Amino acid sequence: MENMIIAENLRKEFKKVIKEPGVKGAVKALFKPKKEIVTAVDDISFTVPKGEILGFIGPNGAGKSTVIKMLTGILMPTAGFCRINGKIPQEDRKNYVREIGVVFGQRTQLWWDLALRETYAVLKEIYQVPDEQYKKRMAFLNEVLELDSFITSPVRTLSLGQRMRADIAASLLHSPKVLFLDEPTIGLDVVVKENIRSAIKKINEEEGTTVILTTHDLADIELLCERIVMIDKGRKVFDGAISDLKHNFGDVRTLEFELVNGPDFKLLDYNRRFKLTQDDIHAERDGSMARVRFDTAKVSVENVVSYTLSTVHVKDLNIKDVEIEEIIKKLYRREVSL
Amino acid sequence: MRYIRLHKIFIAQYLKKLMEYKADFLLGAIGLLLTQVFQLAFLGIIFSQIPALIGWSFQEILFIYGFSLIAKTLDHLFTDNLWMVGYRIIRKGEFDKYLTRPINTLYHVIAENFCVDALGEMLTCILLLAYSIPSLDMPFHWYTIPLWIVVAVFATLIYTSLKIMTAAISFWTKASGHITHMLYMTNDFSKYPVSIYNKFVQTVITYVIPFAFTAYFPASYFLTGNNPWFCIGGTVIAGTVLFALALFIWHKGLSAYESAGS
Repeated sequence: MENMIIAENLRKEFKKVIKEPGVKGAVKALFKPKKEIVTAVDDISFTVPKGEILGFIGPNGAGKSTVIKMLTGILMPTAGFCRINGKIPQEDRKNYVREIGVVFGQRTQLWWDLALRETYAVLKEIYQVPDEQYKKRMAFLNEVLELDSFITSPVRTLSLGQRMRADIAASLLHSPKVLFLDEPTIGLDVVVKENIRSAIKKINEEEGTTVILTTHDLADIELLCERIVMIDKGRKVFDGAISDLKHNFGDVRTLEFELVNGPDFKLLDYNRRFKLTQDDIHAERDGSMARVRFDTAKVSVENVVSYTLSTVHVKDLNIKDVEIEEIIKKLYRREVSL
Repeated sequence: MRYIRLHKIFIAQYLKKLMEYKADFLLGAIGLLLTQVFQLAFLGIIFSQIPALIGWSFQEILFIYGFSLIAKTLDHLFTDNLWMVGYRIIRKGEFDKYLTRPINTLYHVIAENFCVDALGEMLTCILLLAYSIPSLDMPFHWYTIPLWIVVAVFATLIYTSLKIMTAAISFWTKASGHITHMLYMTNDFSKYPVSIYNKFVQTVITYVIPFAFTAYFPASYFLTGNNPWFCIGGTVIAGTVLFALALFIWHKGLSAYESAGS
């Protein structure tokens, strides 16, 4: 399939003046600045085919936003290049941004003091959206993001959830081919998150919009993306399908047994029975519930179930799927490496 | 054409914003009016003590003073948002927004704000000119009015270009509002005949920060008809050169922009 986004060996360095603490340090830095080069993004390459939703994840300060800013033409890469929709953002900015949409969850691009619909009227002119198309587009965005109830309110009075929906609508007004969403669900409640996710999904499905999404909410990733790129300390640490991620990091499963008699829990000693460490199999009690997490590469589901059933009386049994969150937590903590 | 259309829309939005905060606007307008009244009164007091200044009569000095406000007012009215670039927009990473829109960044920043505060200055400007011109015996030709317009445009460009350049410094330094402020304040020198200053100041405001071409030089030409090539030509050249330089620095600055963490 055609690649919508190509990033090759992207690198971004920032010069940083090192200051010693306090006023004295600040004065010293003014006259004798000690400079240090910080590499925020180090040799990152990936591609995104047309119509895909790519999850871009990593811990705080990993360089996600810096990559997004290079892809959107805001920052100039120190080395490497990107080509999106056939254009190099840094060379042909005005034509390039005409066909992309950008949302920075932490910042708004709406006109703060004016009624929301005024922002759309201005953006219509900036992007030169024809009247007819604008009307249709607004109707569509209204339907998907439910803007109707607050479109006449000044932007400063909107709640965070309303503002985010409004910002996403603003980025979609000109029907972009590529949508960059930097933390579109940050700080939102479950209902709004749900609304935003389904809007992203709908736009991706109906219009074939390619989406890059950064988030800390792994539910966003699981519900929206088939593929993720994970970066840490400016480097790419994983690039692949979510199913591969689960596969690569061992199938960690969780079994939940509801015990007839809660205190029986102490009879279960998985570590001794299977001669495994706490890392490979771990059990905890939650009321009458015994929750066992284990690595299927070390011990089979069958063995765990049969040992449990033969040791205690079980009322109910529940097998949970691999949780991507667990894997990512481990990755962040560098407990596993690729 | 497209930018003219956009500009109308931006100004309309600005006026709507003014109406959104009616009390603020009203108080602001009253404050400005008072400022201008005091300024005029102050001028009156000073000039009532000084009948003439190095060969320039009181009326002529009022004319130069009023003339100096033309470019200042126009620049103030249309490009006030440039101040915010150096003070806040770049430091806080708000400049990201402009870079993701398909219009010229410099134009976008400038167009976004429209400073009605400048109308107070405009009032002073008009009053001073209307009061001084009738009592002065100025040469008048068919090309005088077109020349005024040319001077107004290029003198405004001198102001605007200096603001653009100093604002663009913040692409590297993150904040440069105070540099803009420092430079901008030297425009006060241009309100009076340059011959009252020492050689150093004269050189600076003629060739380095050429504010003298926004007021004294063109005004003296309109008063006397002397030195047209230097007085008018100098304004056109200073405006053009500075604007070209400003665009160059701005453009360089864009690639040095580092945004802010989020």
